[in-house]
Amino acid sequence: MNRLDYIVLFATILAIPLYGIWRTYGHPNLRHYLRGDHSIRWGTIGLSVMATQAGPITFLSMPGQAYESGIGFIQNYFGQPFALIVVCAVFVPIYQRLKVYTAYEYLGKRFDQKTRLLGAFLFLVQRGIAGGITIYAPAIILSAVLGWDLNLTIWLAGGFVIAYTVVGGTKIVSLTQRYQILVILVGMALAFGIAVYRLPSDFSFSNALSLAGKMGKLGAVDFSIDPSRRYTFWSGILGGFFLSLSYFGADQSQVQRYLAGGSLRASRIGLLFNAIVKVPMQFLILLLGVMVFLFYQFEKPPIFFNQPTYQRAIERGHGPQLTALETQFDDVFIRKRDALQALPKASAAESETLTAQVREFEAQARTIRDNTKKILVEAGANPKSKDSDYVFITFVLQHLPHGVVGLLVAVIFCATMSATSAVLNALGSTSAIDFYRPLIRPKASDHHYVVATRWLTLAWGLVAIAVASFASLVENLIEAGNILGSVFYGSILGLFLVAFFLRNVRGSAVFFAAVIAQTLVLVLFFTSNIGYLWYNVIGCGLVVLVAPVLQLVLFRNDPPAAIG
Amino acid sequence: MSEQDRPPFFGTWRKAYAFAIALFAIEVVLLYAFTLRFS
Repeated sequence: MNRLDYIVLFATILAIPLYGIWRTYGHPNLRHYLRGDHSIRWGTIGLSVMATQAGPITFLSMPGQAYESGIGFIQNYFGQPFALIVVCAVFVPIYQRLKVYTAYEYLGKRFDQKTRLLGAFLFLVQRGIAGGITIYAPAIILSAVLGWDLNLTIWLAGGFVIAYTVVGGTKIVSLTQRYQILVILVGMALAFGIAVYRLPSDFSFSNALSLAGKMGKLGAVDFSIDPSRRYTFWSGILGGFFLSLSYFGADQSQVQRYLAGGSLRASRIGLLFNAIVKVPMQFLILLLGVMVFLFYQFEKPPIFFNQPTYQRAIERGHGPQLTALETQFDDVFIRKRDALQALPKASAAESETLTAQVREFEAQARTIRDNTKKILVEAGANPKSKDSDYVFITFVLQHLPHGVVGLLVAVIFCATMSATSAVLNALGSTSAIDFYRPLIRPKASDHHYVVATRWLTLAWGLVAIAVASFASLVENLIEAGNILGSVFYGSILGLFLVAFFLRNVRGSAVFFAAVIAQTLVLVLFFTSNIGYLWYNVIGCGLVVLVAPVLQLVLFRNDPPAAIG
Repeated sequence: MSEQDRPPFFGTWRKAYAFAIALFAIEVVLLYAFTLRFS
């Protein structure tokens, strides 16, 4: 990165929060601080929901995912439109009618105080840790490839977010997210355009797609019912539906986004906007990864993208083995490139032979890379995230023009800041509304609660930075974040589904059902090897099944809730 | 449902949801066509 890149980077990441502070500075009452005002319309809500979901990992890891395994991952989002429609039809009208600040406040009105506190507690534990991971994951990658100090990078991303989220509350979060996501979309579109432009001149865009298809990168939809396949249409519809329903219906960091402004119509249109644009947006991000893959068919890629880890293994005495592998890798790359360059002018019969050769060379290259990884593990070089996470940032830093590099690094920061601000805003609000107000100061002034929410938001920001600073102790952080979500989301979703659809179940039954479900999920997590996405389904299913049984057997005489 | 809570272009929210699902179905069909064309 040169001076121009740093100017673009700092101008972008500073200008948006400063504009937000200028637009929102004042003395808001509690309602305005937690839900914003009527100036927040559906467009802002739609972009804000999109920005909250699309954290930095989306933009760092997704292109790398497509580079390694193709675009089949898109199917994971197929359940989302259905989940968003359920949220629009069932969740939003109730939240808006009851004018709740947090989703868990609704649990208190529908069931009782202990169920509300349980839902809020599970959310705080899960999101409190996940907020730190959202800051840490891009920081470890950026600090590795740019040579920045890790703690400085964590504070650079985290410090700004804490400052403006504490000052402006929900309104500033929604406002800044609107501009941050626009910067992100422009940056990704530029990277896409440049990746296509940098392909060899005798390969048209259509030829390039055909080539990627022949190399197995463009299988977007797979209707197979084979359970061993990782991404299929069916697993995407079912698994994606439950995951999205928990995330959009019961996670305060999303609920607070679409309740901003207080209009039922704006909330619904903002969510439907996401139901329609999410799949095309993810498709283009994954296709960008395929373009980067094609680019590296003609330009030699590093044998291992995470170069600091690779260098560490060399320093620990594994240089000769790695050099031998690199020589083999270079040889395979040159032979593969020669076959690819002959493709546009080949006859149909020659084309088939050449394609078979290219696939063979690709398989050889993959084996060499796998052997490299084994040596890195033997060397104890210990990479903290998958090598594919480094593919896109390596492409950006080494092959994009100055200025655009600064913009793309700003994209990663914008994504980190937008996702983290939503999380901190939700953590502060939930601690203040669901714990502080009912348990510590039940009858204070509006102003007092605004100040308390600000202090609690600041405290959660410091927790997130502390988690990020100590996160290097955990192996593969990004995976850890996904696992954490799956372990807690199921029980929380179960509480809400019982609240909405099982009218006869009351507080004690659902509370103990959720405690049983969460305990069982934690036992399974520590003792079994089942795929982590299943925890979500198991947790939710247990609450929905056990709560009515407990109601019938143990809590038949419980008084009904205030609202049904 | 109050007048200001009605969806734009559609008389009811049910029609708006059906439209969103129809658009999603078209997206999946296009993705499948893309898969068949390039795989």
